[in-house]
Amino acid sequence: MSNLLNGNFTTKNKVEVKKEDGENNTLQDEFRKAALNSIGGSMVYVERTDLTWSGDDE
Amino acid sequence: MQDINLSAPFQKIVAQITDIGKAWHSNDLLINAKYNAQYALNSLKDLPKLEKVKQQSAIVISAGPSLHKQDVLKKLNKSNYQGTIVAIDGSLVKCLKNGIIPDYVLTLDPHPTRMIRWFGDDNFEENTRNDDYFSRQDLDIDFRNNSIKENEENIALINQYASKIKLIICSSAPKNVVKRALEAGFQMYWWNPIVDNPKQENSLTRELYKLNKFPCMNTGGTVGTAAWVFANAILKIPQIVLTGMDLGYHLDTPIEMTQTYYELQEFASTQEEFEALFPQFTFPLTGEVFYTDPTYFWYRHNFLQLLEQSIGETINCSEAGTLFDKNLPCKPLNEYIT
Repeated sequence: MSNLLNGNFTTKNKVEVKKEDGENNTLQDEFRKAALNSIGGSMVYVERTDLTWSGDDE
Repeated sequence: MQDINLSAPFQKIVAQITDIGKAWHSNDLLINAKYNAQYALNSLKDLPKLEKVKQQSAIVISAGPSLHKQDVLKKLNKSNYQGTIVAIDGSLVKCLKNGIIPDYVLTLDPHPTRMIRWFGDDNFEENTRNDDYFSRQDLDIDFRNNSIKENEENIALINQYASKIKLIICSSAPKNVVKRALEAGFQMYWWNPIVDNPKQENSLTRELYKLNKFPCMNTGGTVGTAAWVFANAILKIPQIVLTGMDLGYHLDTPIEMTQTYYELQEFASTQEEFEALFPQFTFPLTGEVFYTDPTYFWYRHNFLQLLEQSIGETINCSEAGTLFDKNLPCKPLNEYIT
């Protein structure tokens, strides 16, 4: 938690601050994530699926 | 498949591409499909039947370096080829400049600022500012040296011929491409990409289908493969010739000009590791050596997998690149278009 938000009192119960995912990310992780996005091709492809699907089983 | 040594980091990157793709694209796919539903009058189900001669064979015109280096379009223009011509967004202007009006043009990529370039971009300067993706790889020297004027000419060219072309447009297409296609007057036929197993619960493909009821097509990750799937599985053309489908680089292409040069630097700590991300292949028809990168290698792998499921004959007449296998013969284009 930011020091700016610390009050001048003590709470009865211990306050657990949940870390957001982003806080653990290093700058290198961010670069890597951005890099993977670019390398990831222009569209999703999933192995072992048919060439087409017409929704016939809807 | 040719026996080549693939480094562990290379294989690791390739293995990750499938997983990251869906996470990366999921939002865009749904947002674009919802937005595009208002413009979707026709889908692949509404395509008119092909005349007999067009039903017999097709040429897929992808936009790899061999399209230019092998003079594919000039050869095709001089020929008496009567079959179906399936181009992709990236090869459309090149076709028109060479006097070839494709029967169909595929577009797929949801990128909000890059794809519009292929149709002539009304907002070209804004969309290309701070983005060297194309200028780094550009094979069109005229465009590279005189891009603003060339873009204006491309707009006029597309406007002139769009009404004669069937645009096979994916529901993932970005807003600016859809707007431009409507203005230019393409005949538009819509489809959804298969992005997961539609038979599974919570399938995104099924969700897309429920939005618009368009038929769904596998893309192999790239529009060139989608064009081949379209010719094979939708048009059901029994003989398909591939051109411009290199999925690799000529050995004289500087590594700095490859599509993900900057990004791949994050995955190697030494020069040796970095170079291992660009494995080489010897093209069987000519003995020429080409190199690839993880993205192209992934496309190649996907294409060969889809090919195993297909029926009919496919021949690679790109005369270059990394796309060959025991089920995919490579032959000179002239054997098929004389």
